[in-house]
Amino acid sequence: MVVSDAPVGASFRVIRITKGKEVGKRLADMGFTEGAEGEVVRSGFLHDPLQVKIRGYDILIRRSEADDIEIAPLGNWPAAETAG
Amino acid sequence: MSEVARSILRVALAGNPNAGKTSLFNALTGAHHKVGNYPGVTVEKLEGSRIRNGREYRFIDLPGIYSLTAYSMDEVVARDFILDEKPDLIVDVLDSTNLERNLFLCLQFQELGIPVVGALNMSDEAAAKGIAIDVEALSAVLGIPMVKTVGSRGNGIADLLDCLDSAGNQQAATFNNSHASHSIHYGEEIESRVKPLEAAIAADASFATRFPPRWLAVKLLEKDANAYRRLSSHKNADGVAAQARESVAWIEKHYAKDAEIVISEQRYGYIHGAAKETVTLVRRPTLSPTETIDKVTMNRFLALPIFILVLWGVFKLTFALGAFPQHWLELFFGWLGGAVASVVPEGFLRSLLVNGIIAGVGSVFSFVPLIVILFFLLSVLEDVGYMSRAAFATDKFLHAFGLHGQSVFPMVLGFGCSVPAIMAARTLKSRRDRIVTILVIPFMSCGAKLPVYVLLAGAFFPKNAANMVMLVYAVGVVISLVSAFVLKKTILRGDPTPFVMELPPYRAPTLRGLLWHVWEKTSQYVKKAGTVIMAAAILIWAITAFPIYALSPGEVDSLTTAYKIKNAGADQAALASYMETARAGAALEHSVAGSIGKFIQPVFRPLGFDWKISVATVTGFAAKEVIVSTLGILYRVGTEEDEQSASLREALRADSNFTPLVAFVLMLFVLVIPPCFAALSTIKAELGWRWLGFAFLFMLALGWCLCAAVYQVGMVAGSALHTRAA
Repeated sequence: MVVSDAPVGASFRVIRITKGKEVGKRLADMGFTEGAEGEVVRSGFLHDPLQVKIRGYDILIRRSEADDIEIAPLGNWPAAETAG
Repeated sequence: MSEVARSILRVALAGNPNAGKTSLFNALTGAHHKVGNYPGVTVEKLEGSRIRNGREYRFIDLPGIYSLTAYSMDEVVARDFILDEKPDLIVDVLDSTNLERNLFLCLQFQELGIPVVGALNMSDEAAAKGIAIDVEALSAVLGIPMVKTVGSRGNGIADLLDCLDSAGNQQAATFNNSHASHSIHYGEEIESRVKPLEAAIAADASFATRFPPRWLAVKLLEKDANAYRRLSSHKNADGVAAQARESVAWIEKHYAKDAEIVISEQRYGYIHGAAKETVTLVRRPTLSPTETIDKVTMNRFLALPIFILVLWGVFKLTFALGAFPQHWLELFFGWLGGAVASVVPEGFLRSLLVNGIIAGVGSVFSFVPLIVILFFLLSVLEDVGYMSRAAFATDKFLHAFGLHGQSVFPMVLGFGCSVPAIMAARTLKSRRDRIVTILVIPFMSCGAKLPVYVLLAGAFFPKNAANMVMLVYAVGVVISLVSAFVLKKTILRGDPTPFVMELPPYRAPTLRGLLWHVWEKTSQYVKKAGTVIMAAAILIWAITAFPIYALSPGEVDSLTTAYKIKNAGADQAALASYMETARAGAALEHSVAGSIGKFIQPVFRPLGFDWKISVATVTGFAAKEVIVSTLGILYRVGTEEDEQSASLREALRADSNFTPLVAFVLMLFVLVIPPCFAALSTIKAELGWRWLGFAFLFMLALGWCLCAAVYQVGMVAGSALHTRAA
């Protein structure tokens, strides 16, 4: 499961970044590292980009980048308004 | 070597974007600033100084960054400055409300082997959010002296300076020893790889004085290309590199992850451990004002309409407010020209002073009010934190064309004037995105192209004039998006720049910060563009004024007779004005500009342009609205015609060569060909000569091909219609 699978309002715990090099390194440097907890806050008009809360601050990432972040769900995920 | 003797301390100011670095820099340095560039790149370099207790502090502002990788130009600039210039101290500005991510950068500076002092900035905001930081404990755990500050209000500056003072007083050796024992611990497995690598690097003693071995060892494990390049001057470069690659392979096998990701994870692990002991949340955060506002401004359906509204507001305000000072400046330079003309006798010198230099300086300064207002408004949006929201609203659409969410502001500003628009593209962090954005900005029809469209549409499409003008604007937008797409697929191809952007909370801007931004941008414009634009204005003046041509008495006689026959009963004044226009026309026709126009006319024939249009496009490089007045002179209508002139429209229509098709092609041509000298010199200032050359040829080639195609197709279609009608 990756961040782009999470519906708006869902909390998650990062398992791993599946990509290295520039994109993966940037995501890791911004705080998406193993064990970090976050939440999908909202998504844009065509469900892209995503606003994600990580390590207590907010970040915007494209869905294509969110695909590289493997996660495990935390708590109950809202089913209604999915980000995907 | 004792540091007590140091009377000058060179202090690098570093930190994340949105951590309040600029306001802290201002609070530290007061009014003593110097703006420059880092060598070889367009990243701005700010320097300022302060004298305190007989010691001079020289502050150098590093670009705002999140990490020290080799992927971003800003990060490379910051790292190279530390490694190559070796400042005495680094002040890392930390956003106290967001400590973990901010410490991530701070600890990388610590590894570079230069004493680091942490400024826990925005400490008031953190307190309001219920975040309690045990400063002494945090300093002790990390081995970095920390001070609480509020840069926007100047709080904690004295404490920070005291801290710098004592750090500067310590002997370098002492500091380095205490620092070495404190640098980040990556966990036993990684350390078992870092330490041998560190030892191998330190084996070359002279190399180790230039690059901190531990820092380089970690960077090699992060597969940092720049670190491998620096290693090449090591005595045993190949051996160390091989050892590093072997360690990378071991880490990746052991963790089943990319090594550079593992290093980041270990760093965050270390930070999380330190923060857990020293940072506590004393109460649960309530719904912040930012979240409430974002519920509206970042709503899926409202974000884009709100953005368009904001943009429209900035646009309207800039050109509405800017019109007054712009008009005053024009009046002033007009008055100055008149005053000089009344003192200097008619001739070469007067023409050079009035039409060349004063007109040139005037054209440079007439942009200044626009730039001041525009950058003030843009700085407000940026300092408030709206820019990331704008990128959120537009990224999906622009990304489809290879542009970036942040390209939207510069591009829309292009409808007003390309000069500030090109400068506004600085907000784009990726160089490739910035180049693409700058290259397509001129296709957004600027305010000076409008008079040309109005004249031609009014003369040749009187029933659909407004629609024709709108059509040309729309074609411009399409061309800019398509060119961006093509450029991104060809010469500017590369991995897509990740869209990973912090969304800072809304913050009230400080007036001081805003004025500082405006002053910085404006003075740069006047300095950089000013010299080039003035030289260009003088050049345009010279090629239209030389060689001096005067009508011979015979020509005057025949023109006068012809005029009198055609306009029986016309008074002396009308004749005099006709003769003045005729003289100006003949002078322009025989000038260098006229010769160029006539010389290149064969090139323009496939587009249906005669020599008059060719000359007008040449003089149009001074400013696009000049095309209108040039046509006025060449069609013998008057020397100062504008786009509303009925007689100029009539004269154009009367020319059998000037068909509606030619008029439409000319509108397209004015849209696509390279912009005025002011915009060209701004492109040069922002991207350098090579990209200016590319932009020039690209627009010229595109303009010619597009217009030739439209004209030829139009001719064929026209004659087909004609045959059918007959």
